[in-house]
Amino acid sequence: MIASIAFRRFKALRQTRVELSPFNLVIGPNGSGKTSLIEAVLRLRTLSALPPSERPFAQRHEGPEIEFTFAPPWADLTAKLGCESDLICDTLRREPPAAAGWPALCRELTTIRGYALDHAAMAQASRQGEGRHLAADGSNLAAVLAQLQARVPAAFAELTAEITRLMPEFQALEIKAWPDERVEFGLHLAEAGVVPAAELSQGTLALVAVLALAFDPEPPRILCIEEVDRGIHPRMLREIRDTLYRLSHPRVPGPRARTVQIITTTHSPYFIDLFRDHPEEVIVSQKHGRAAKFERLIDRPDLPELLREGSLGDMWFSGILGGIPEEP
Amino acid sequence: MKVALLSESPADETALRVLVGAVLKATPRFVAPGFRARGWPNVAQVMPAVLRHLHFNTDTDALVVVVDADDSVVHVAAHDRPGYYHPHCRMCQLRALHRQTTKKLPMAHGRSRVMRVVGVAVPAIEAWYLCGRDASVSEEVWVTDRENGRTPYTRAELKFRVYGTDRPSLPYEIECALREVERHRHDTRRLEHDFPGFAALAVDLRAPRKAAPSPGRTS
Repeated sequence: MIASIAFRRFKALRQTRVELSPFNLVIGPNGSGKTSLIEAVLRLRTLSALPPSERPFAQRHEGPEIEFTFAPPWADLTAKLGCESDLICDTLRREPPAAAGWPALCRELTTIRGYALDHAAMAQASRQGEGRHLAADGSNLAAVLAQLQARVPAAFAELTAEITRLMPEFQALEIKAWPDERVEFGLHLAEAGVVPAAELSQGTLALVAVLALAFDPEPPRILCIEEVDRGIHPRMLREIRDTLYRLSHPRVPGPRARTVQIITTTHSPYFIDLFRDHPEEVIVSQKHGRAAKFERLIDRPDLPELLREGSLGDMWFSGILGGIPEEP
Repeated sequence: MKVALLSESPADETALRVLVGAVLKATPRFVAPGFRARGWPNVAQVMPAVLRHLHFNTDTDALVVVVDADDSVVHVAAHDRPGYYHPHCRMCQLRALHRQTTKKLPMAHGRSRVMRVVGVAVPAIEAWYLCGRDASVSEEVWVTDRENGRTPYTRAELKFRVYGTDRPSLPYEIECALREVERHRHDTRRLEHDFPGFAALAVDLRAPRKAAPSPGRTS
């Protein structure tokens, strides 16, 4: 979907460009532009939903600039975000402006979604009618599950089967609707009793949310998730990766399969280990002072030798791969 | 017989359970959950601690360790001569680790040490899965081609041949692994013939049933 993003003067991303794959794992120290990358993608979504600006695109020479290119069939289109400051990016320039592909591309871009899941928000009750898409913090998780159960029972059954496979202590996902339109969910223990969402662990809630995204009947074209490993046991991370791969690399590829481009971040060496066979999916954010640059792991010429010496996560932690905090 | 497994993934562990049972021609008791390492060299890092834990805290008879050879030096008969140790051969390294870890342990749970059972899949466990259905995959093919400067297949190619994708989900990987090792459930001779790295595991596994070696024995 998005082939590359070039940043100039945008927060820590002073002058850098990153090429994106169907799946992208971004690693690096705090404040190295991982979230800014996702933020840029979400701004593209927001501006794509608006009609083309009639205001002439006057690039402020000192202002931030973000340029997007796209994968086929939109390889000939470029979108450039013009910003007054890091906080105000309100102009989208489309090049070439009259290209026939823009309406279709913009429709796809408006489906982009970004997540920073919040366990406290996910555990709360939500309003039944607000479950079409999972909210950015997961706060309508209960409503999303309720709608899935009502509208696509087969997908709900699959999701439940996945939950019980991954957490065999549970045997069912239960939705409880209240007369005042509130809806809650809980997990039914295999032994007896229901654990309400408010009492589920952070990792369990995160797992349910990621699965809800995977079984979304209307998936976005691009899915951004901050720290997808948060709260998840290291031995379960393979399942998280596989769940996301299900979206980015559908089992039966083809024109009818909807591929979701994934952009996610992590600080977990254990999660990074899982990309040993696909280092092309790892993007390292290198921070030098206040500026950061993106580098693709696959571009390191000595990578095969490094992988013979140890795991990818250990190599990253050691500092050999970069993407580590500067020390005083 | 009580057996512990140290492997890289739940799929490997599931397949190894079948293969261990096939070699022993009986279903041993397995220590659950299995021990896990994050690939080489992490397996070598955790193995001493796993061995000591099993020795003192359990009545486990044997620890089965299987690693992928990747691009490392493949174990050959010449490495087995007394006192020899190849520093870049994973079989030699794991055997030495076992020897060093167990040689000074006191008796516990009625045995002098947890037995060593080491296998090395050349170049990856998917090669074992293809044994008996893809004649172009064997340890000899790998070694010969590499000696001639060729790489007969990559890890990714082996995954494609087994799973039809290089990004299999875990349940699908387990399903495929179980389907493939089913060929060897009643007879492991072909696997032992084509993959000496598996034959070494089988020899180790059968050894404790004959006689428990003394703690001072060298590999």
